[in-house]
Amino acid sequence: MEATKLTRPRWMRPASFAMAGALALVGLAGCSASGGDEGVTEIEFWGWVPGLEDLVDTWNEENPDVQVSFHRMTGDDGQKVEVAVDGGAGPDLVQLSTHNLPDYVIQERVVEITEWVADEEENYTPASWASVSFDGGVYGIPQGIGPAGMMYRADILEQHGLEIPTTWDEYLETARALHAANPDVYIANMSPSEIGQWVQEIQQAESSWYSIEGDAWKLGVNDEGSKLVAERWQTLLDEGLVTTEQMWTPEYWALVNNGTIATVSYAAWFPTILAENAAETSGLWKVAPLPVNEGSTNSGDSGGAAVIVLKNSEHPAEAAEFAAWLNGSDETQDTLITVGGLFPSTQNGLASEALLSESEFYGGQVVNEVFIESAENTPATWVEGPNFGTIQTAILDEFAKVVTGEQTFLEALDRAQAAGVADLESRGLSVVD
Amino acid sequence: MSVALPRASRRRFSGAGRPWVPYVFIAPFVALFLVFLVAPILVAVVNSLYSRQSSGLGFGGTEVEFIGLDNFARAIGDADFLAGFGRVALYGIVQVPVMMALAAALALLFDTALVRGRKFFQFAVFLPYAVPGVIAALLWGFLYQPSVSPLLQALRGIGIHADLLAPGTVLWSVANVSLWSYTGINMIILFAALQTVPREIYEAAKLDGASEFRIAVGVKLPMIAPAILLTTLSSIIGTLQLFNEPQVLQTVTANIASDWTPNMAIYAASTLGKNPNLASAMAVLLGLATLIVSVLVLRLSNRTTKRATDGL
Repeated sequence: MEATKLTRPRWMRPASFAMAGALALVGLAGCSASGGDEGVTEIEFWGWVPGLEDLVDTWNEENPDVQVSFHRMTGDDGQKVEVAVDGGAGPDLVQLSTHNLPDYVIQERVVEITEWVADEEENYTPASWASVSFDGGVYGIPQGIGPAGMMYRADILEQHGLEIPTTWDEYLETARALHAANPDVYIANMSPSEIGQWVQEIQQAESSWYSIEGDAWKLGVNDEGSKLVAERWQTLLDEGLVTTEQMWTPEYWALVNNGTIATVSYAAWFPTILAENAAETSGLWKVAPLPVNEGSTNSGDSGGAAVIVLKNSEHPAEAAEFAAWLNGSDETQDTLITVGGLFPSTQNGLASEALLSESEFYGGQVVNEVFIESAENTPATWVEGPNFGTIQTAILDEFAKVVTGEQTFLEALDRAQAAGVADLESRGLSVVD
Repeated sequence: MSVALPRASRRRFSGAGRPWVPYVFIAPFVALFLVFLVAPILVAVVNSLYSRQSSGLGFGGTEVEFIGLDNFARAIGDADFLAGFGRVALYGIVQVPVMMALAAALALLFDTALVRGRKFFQFAVFLPYAVPGVIAALLWGFLYQPSVSPLLQALRGIGIHADLLAPGTVLWSVANVSLWSYTGINMIILFAALQTVPREIYEAAKLDGASEFRIAVGVKLPMIAPAILLTTLSSIIGTLQLFNEPQVLQTVTANIASDWTPNMAIYAASTLGKNPNLASAMAVLLGLATLIVSVLVLRLSNRTTKRATDGL
């Protein structure tokens, strides 16, 4: 379901129900380091974006000297990569959530590729390039970001004569009006298992789990921005205005399909998934900007991905060159956007016409116009840091107890903060309060 | 001389001149045992004493440091990890007796002449065991979700609103999956044990005027006590190792936390928390707990088996 992700991308989400079977059934696929025939360099690449097979074929035709083999990641492949790399093997290239990149750098699993890709920087959005840069080095090529928007049931709002909420205060009012008008309808589902939805809203509030003070990390799991978001959802929860199903389950999609849930706020890659899983509601949905906080125009982002060169690669230069081509060249952008469903982190991708196609499911709306604006309004305040996974797990475990009423969001955040600090300290990292 | 031949053949049978022969025969077992059981345990024990340490922001690389028993102290100090033990204990105290009682009752029932279509029903009871645990959990996962479960929809039809994934009920929903999966195999083992009991004993009991029920409880059960204790022991160990079912059901409910059982906590520490050293210490603790429980059960079982067979 694994895993839980554009913090972990959807297709390798351990939290996805059907994938749980795959997780346990899929064996360890070959993780050999690259080698090969004389004269031909072989590169092994693991990734999850749909359509990568075709792009790899295109590269292999154009580059007979550097042949790339592709493995589609499912289930817990991401964890297998870590084990393989630590054991001295693993593929040359892997796709990774940028939230996890600091760990890869700290654990020395990733190769610094600055010398081969430094001139690519100008084609990438500053925020995405920053997400792969640490301590002055470049450790990956960005591959898509997750600016947030709000998918909403236009028919339901219209039926009750409600306006599209543009601020979170209006959102709360709409939630109350909606539920009062029809007790079977809820403004949203607060999934205690979905870290991406949390991350996009705390980023909107200019919170960051990590920041650097001198030579030490500072954790902000319960900082001001996070508290603002916590109070918002506490109110919605306390007043019974949201459902609390776990996202991605059959139960969740049933609620989406039968009109129980009126809005879903999530990243640019979500509209495609919604269309796939709620086909019978085609034409009823629209996409609006994520509601904003009072006095701000900020939007949020749940996180992006990158393609990185792993440390046991025998051909890091060729691998980096392929990664740069894959994510940045003009000929790959349309496929990544239309087939891959990526929201580009590249300038040539943002300029691509493929981004502005109309979507039938959303009543002919050009939904990416919303996400382009969202990307422009995302504050550059989020800092990636070590052990995202531990904080993520701590938060989700605590949130589960919030939706059952055992504790509040604020208490959950305090506990997750404490768990995060303890974890970093146990690794010998410097942490300031 | 005719001496050479017999000597050669005697050697072939006794191996007297080749003392290494027995070792060759057990070598495959010993090799696999060492490589896949002893070595991993040693590696886990060694790993549990170290920690990968960074400094400052962490970008200067890591060093592996010997930290003694700090990982153990941290594991034992983790209330959620300990709560996992309590959870599987509660689960085991209920699930194992219920399952064993069910398996024994079914085995005794199939052992009587009263049952028609015995082969079919035995197969039906055993079949869930052939379904991999993960698939079983997926199947039940659907049945536990109100909007997609025909079971819960039927219950709602008669006015019962059951939430099988609530904090208070989810433990028993997991237990139900295990019960469904493993009752069959335990029934088969007990039934097989019953077939080895000499029929004359039953006849003797019958002649003494014992009813079928009296024979079942007073004769059959004591006779298969060793099999009952074996299956109970492996069920208890299985309970301590509980992982597949809750890990899968975790994808449909947030009420199963990442460290819900000890094994899940170990998995979470190593993969989600990326701390294999801490996970090793936790695994060693779980192994010790399993060892202690196994020894206790075996002690207890040896005593009761002896008493049961002495009584006959």
